[in-house]
Amino acid sequence: MRLLLVEDHVPLADELIAGLGRQGYAVDWLADGRDAVHQGATEPYDLIILDLGLPGVPGLQVLEQWRSSGLATPVLVLTARGSWSERIEGLKAGADDYLTKPFHPEELQLRIQALLRRSHGLANQPRLESAGLHLDEGRQCVTREGVDIQLTSAEFRLLRYFMHHPEQILSKSHLAEHLYDGENERDSNVIEVHVNHLRRKLGKAVVETRRGQGYRFGGTPA
Amino acid sequence: MKSIQARLSVGLVSVMVVVCVVLAQISLWLFELGLQRYLEAGLRNESESLLIALVKGPNGLQLDEHRLTPAYQRPFSGHYFRIDFEQGHWRSRSLWDLKLPEPGAAGLHANFQLGKTEQSLLLLQTDYRRFGQDISITVAQDYTPVRASFLRVQQVGLALGLAALALILALQRITVSRALRPLEKAREQISQLQQGKRSQLDEQVPLELEPLVSQINHLLIHTEDSLKRSRNALGNLGHALKTPLAVLVSATSSPQLDAQPVLRKTLLDQLEHIQQRLVRELNRARLSGDALPGAHFDCDAELEGLLATLRMIHGEHLELAVRVTPGLLLPWDREDVLELLGNLLDNACKWADSEVTLTIGEQNNGVYLLIDDDGPGIPETQRDEVLSRGARLDEQVNGHGLGLGIVRDIVHAWGGQLHLLTSPLGGLQIRIDLPDGSSVN
Repeated sequence: MRLLLVEDHVPLADELIAGLGRQGYAVDWLADGRDAVHQGATEPYDLIILDLGLPGVPGLQVLEQWRSSGLATPVLVLTARGSWSERIEGLKAGADDYLTKPFHPEELQLRIQALLRRSHGLANQPRLESAGLHLDEGRQCVTREGVDIQLTSAEFRLLRYFMHHPEQILSKSHLAEHLYDGENERDSNVIEVHVNHLRRKLGKAVVETRRGQGYRFGGTPA
Repeated sequence: MKSIQARLSVGLVSVMVVVCVVLAQISLWLFELGLQRYLEAGLRNESESLLIALVKGPNGLQLDEHRLTPAYQRPFSGHYFRIDFEQGHWRSRSLWDLKLPEPGAAGLHANFQLGKTEQSLLLLQTDYRRFGQDISITVAQDYTPVRASFLRVQQVGLALGLAALALILALQRITVSRALRPLEKAREQISQLQQGKRSQLDEQVPLELEPLVSQINHLLIHTEDSLKRSRNALGNLGHALKTPLAVLVSATSSPQLDAQPVLRKTLLDQLEHIQQRLVRELNRARLSGDALPGAHFDCDAELEGLLATLRMIHGEHLELAVRVTPGLLLPWDREDVLELLGNLLDNACKWADSEVTLTIGEQNNGVYLLIDDDGPGIPETQRDEVLSRGARLDEQVNGHGLGLGIVRDIVHAWGGQLHLLTSPLGGLQIRIDLPDGSSVN
């Protein structure tokens, strides 16, 4: 899962990037509203965390510009201004959720998880479930038929992305774009390695290879 | 304070009554005086013709009957005389058996009653000397008809005066109310201002009212501006404090603190404390109360956005229903009303199983709000405790309490009442009675 964090307060951004990184998210960070307007619309993010008090272009305008240009990525708004009238304005501008500063990191993580699930049509599930697997995003492990299976961080990221997109064909480059942030090298061979690890831990049928197309998770075994 | 209309009426009536009565009395008195002078001339004539009628006969003085006016012969004709001289006196036949009053001194005298008759006499006594004798002639004329006509004039005058007074009062009322119409208009506009139906007074007013109206408008703009400024300043302060606070809260979950669970908990608790106090104080300071007369909350326009927000936060499984009189305007600041409803509905949504209802209606002197949910509710015995929780700022409050604390602050600022009841839906009903903006001092 690749997120865009738009936050001008550097210490807070550092904390958030560190925390989100521990949760297995690839995070790109921007501090200026003008950059955000451009980059948010061009890069394939799964979710955007947007602070409203931004230099350059105010956060609400950034959001309005994204929405008017047809960007459908879920946006979680962070703001110190927590009054209801501002909350309503934010959601009218196209925000999907609203978090008032200061917040607990867990609160932010839960909101991000819920928002991602909701945007993929998996609303109202306390845990991520797909193809007989239960993913515990807090502990970063997967449960199948009551048996816990430990995952490495990279495996967890990959499986989480698969579970958000069940029965969809995902190419290696698509996966690389969504699992790594803009600064890390995207080596599609690494993806292949992690898919093999997942197959070893969860069974061969869990991820199907479509030659020349990519991978497909949770399909009926051939 | 008495109304200007009443003051003007009282002043005008008293001045009119005093002036009219004094004028009427004086002119009547002068007229009567003039009439008496005129009658005196007639009487003097009579008196002199009587003197001429005195002739010297063989037995001393004689009165030549032929020279006398017939009126002196007819009893109680209204014309009388009496002639006194050394040997005795003569009286006119018209006196019959009555005695002509004696004024005692020469000159004109009025208001003498003739015996038991109704006649009031005007007497002129004149002293002469003729044929070597002192002769005193008193002639009298009945003055009653003149009196009666004077009385009639007085009555007619009084009636006319009263009618004129009534007419003047009516005209004055019309004039004054015409002249005061701009004031009345300004008064109406001020009451509209209080109900939040307008934000400025009409500038098209007479010259005299212009400074007042423009001053009020100026004050309104000034109040609005300074309120906006202070709200912005508070917002900035909040922003400035909350972001570092967010960094600190975020930092407590860093792995370096994993070995120090007690320290982490203390930090978190204290940060939570700071945050809640900050939120509550910012809200409290932000509360405009009724400082902005032009502010109002348009239920039809605003509630939709609020409900959409709540649905987004709490998911679509909740049935959010609104029962509001169409076109209802609440006379309070939009942000404050949203804060109140947002907190209350948010709470209700948190606790409800499937249904939350908001009812806003008008009652005789204000507005009532009902927020119903079908959640577990609060037992009657614990309601007071819930209400008092969060009443004090330094108290530990959880999410529920904090929202209710802000609600309490707002309701208090508006002079309203907050009650916790049992909802017909089965859960908690929060009832808020708010007095009309215009009745709040």
